[in-house]
Amino acid sequence: MNDYAWLVRREFWENRAIWIVPAAIGVALTLAALFGNVQIAALSLPDSRALSGAVLFGFGVTFFVVMNIYATWYLLDCLYADRKDRSVLFWKSLPLSDTATVLAKLFTGLIAIPLVYFIAADIATLLMAFIVSVRAHSILGGRLWQPDLWLQLQVLWLYLIVTMAIWYLPFAGYLLVVSAWARRAVTLWSIVPPLAAYLLERWFFGTHWVGTVLQDRAFGYLPHALRDNSNSAWVTTVVGDDSITTPASIWRLLDPLGFLSSPATWIGIMVGIALIVAAIQLRLRRTEI
Amino acid sequence: MSPMPPLIEAHDLSKNYGKHVALDHVNFAVETGRIVGLIGPNGAGKTTALRAILGLTPYEGRLRVLDREPFSDRAALMRDACFIADVAVLPAWLRVDQAIDFVAGVHPRFRRDRAQAFLSKTQITGKRRMRELSKGMKTQVHLALTMAIDAKLLVLDEPTLGLDILARRSFFDALVNDYMDETRTILITTHQVEEVENLLTDVIFIDRGRIVLDSSLEDIATRYAAVAVADDKVAAARAERPFFERRTLGKTVLYFERPDVQQLANLGELLTPSVSDLFVAKLSEGAA
Repeated sequence: MNDYAWLVRREFWENRAIWIVPAAIGVALTLAALFGNVQIAALSLPDSRALSGAVLFGFGVTFFVVMNIYATWYLLDCLYADRKDRSVLFWKSLPLSDTATVLAKLFTGLIAIPLVYFIAADIATLLMAFIVSVRAHSILGGRLWQPDLWLQLQVLWLYLIVTMAIWYLPFAGYLLVVSAWARRAVTLWSIVPPLAAYLLERWFFGTHWVGTVLQDRAFGYLPHALRDNSNSAWVTTVVGDDSITTPASIWRLLDPLGFLSSPATWIGIMVGIALIVAAIQLRLRRTEI
Repeated sequence: MSPMPPLIEAHDLSKNYGKHVALDHVNFAVETGRIVGLIGPNGAGKTTALRAILGLTPYEGRLRVLDREPFSDRAALMRDACFIADVAVLPAWLRVDQAIDFVAGVHPRFRRDRAQAFLSKTQITGKRRMRELSKGMKTQVHLALTMAIDAKLLVLDEPTLGLDILARRSFFDALVNDYMDETRTILITTHQVEEVENLLTDVIFIDRGRIVLDSSLEDIATRYAAVAVADDKVAAARAERPFFERRTLGKTVLYFERPDVQQLANLGELLTPSVSDLFVAKLSEGAA
């Protein structure tokens, strides 16, 4: 287990963007809260709870979107980068198996990076809420600070991290295969094979099974991991001319049993494992670009 | 004491890249305590042989290194063997202190104090990143990391490529004076024979995937001889069946394997071929 800790640590040394990017977003949000024009103070607040929810949610989404883009790029680059700078020959001169190396990189992309963003988002939103509350103390007081909403958001984040890691395992495995295999242009190589398969299938068979499978995997996550967006799960609050829609309760949104009992989840896990095994085999054999 | 099995043992070792035959049914063995030079021109197969020995590539035939099958057992093998591929493989972003921390963390035989003692003799400080270091300094870092590992086998692949003459000299001095002892074995590849011939105990010449000579240096001295003869003696010398000859300074130098030394001494000036002479002779013989 100690080897894995060192391997993940090395990923943080190599890819300093893992913590620099979320830290930069956090600093930007904190600065905006410090020096920005706090319009909120002027609003009449029919429901500060909804507003608080929207603020927390909005910042969470910002971190989440950037995190997904970065983690995708990381998984696509990590094995290729070792070959490109030839450092693979140094890492392979140490008593670390290629299996451990690939799994450490997978863990970094699917769990460690999301956790860093989660912590950064937490610190930033707490600072934001505090600063805005202090700046607008007479009007808002502590009303923007809703501990139960904040706690719910913590649970939502952790739930999303775990379920996304499982759901997107085949994508992550595929990115690692490309990263271990491609001699150049990893981004292009990650796009071309699925696109070619999709187009060839359409031309020769007139069907679009490949497209459907990819689409279901890419967009099927929310309906699988979260409960149906029925009206009862969401609350819409009208603030001035705008309306804010927030989850009524996180607890009603999460659907872990539904997620784990879906065949699609388990098919994804199996395809993911097969691709990760392939990536390990490629890492064993390929040292050159 | 029971006889020890060879540290490296290759039987019928082959490796093809598509149609290109990089290693063609090669046999050799390396014993403990030797410094073996694997010598050949570029593209001869020496790097392929090293890659196979280090478990970096699959191969055909039988290969045992420290009683392990290298490709399927690389991680375990690397506890007892280590290698410096060439100077450029330490990643640019890595800091010197991170490199030491990492190797100390994952390698059970790494001695941190030894690496630090070696580096304290240099100008290199812990916070420097590899990208800020010269090639010579990077080599010193890599050597510090490697020499601090209590390994039975050290493999060096063109270790001084791109280094200036001072850095080369200090590299080999450190290797022989600070590292080598009778429990260790070094396998070193190079295409610059002159640079290593004084420190080797054995040489293996490899050319186009085949071994053309595998011998200890003591054997070479008794087995091979050369004679420099004037033009009128060339025909007589050729009758002794040389395997190679070359013209130099108005004389012809002819190379012989297991010659009648007395006979040669009558024809001209008797010479002991250096490893580099023999290398040129052996490879030219193969090309003819």
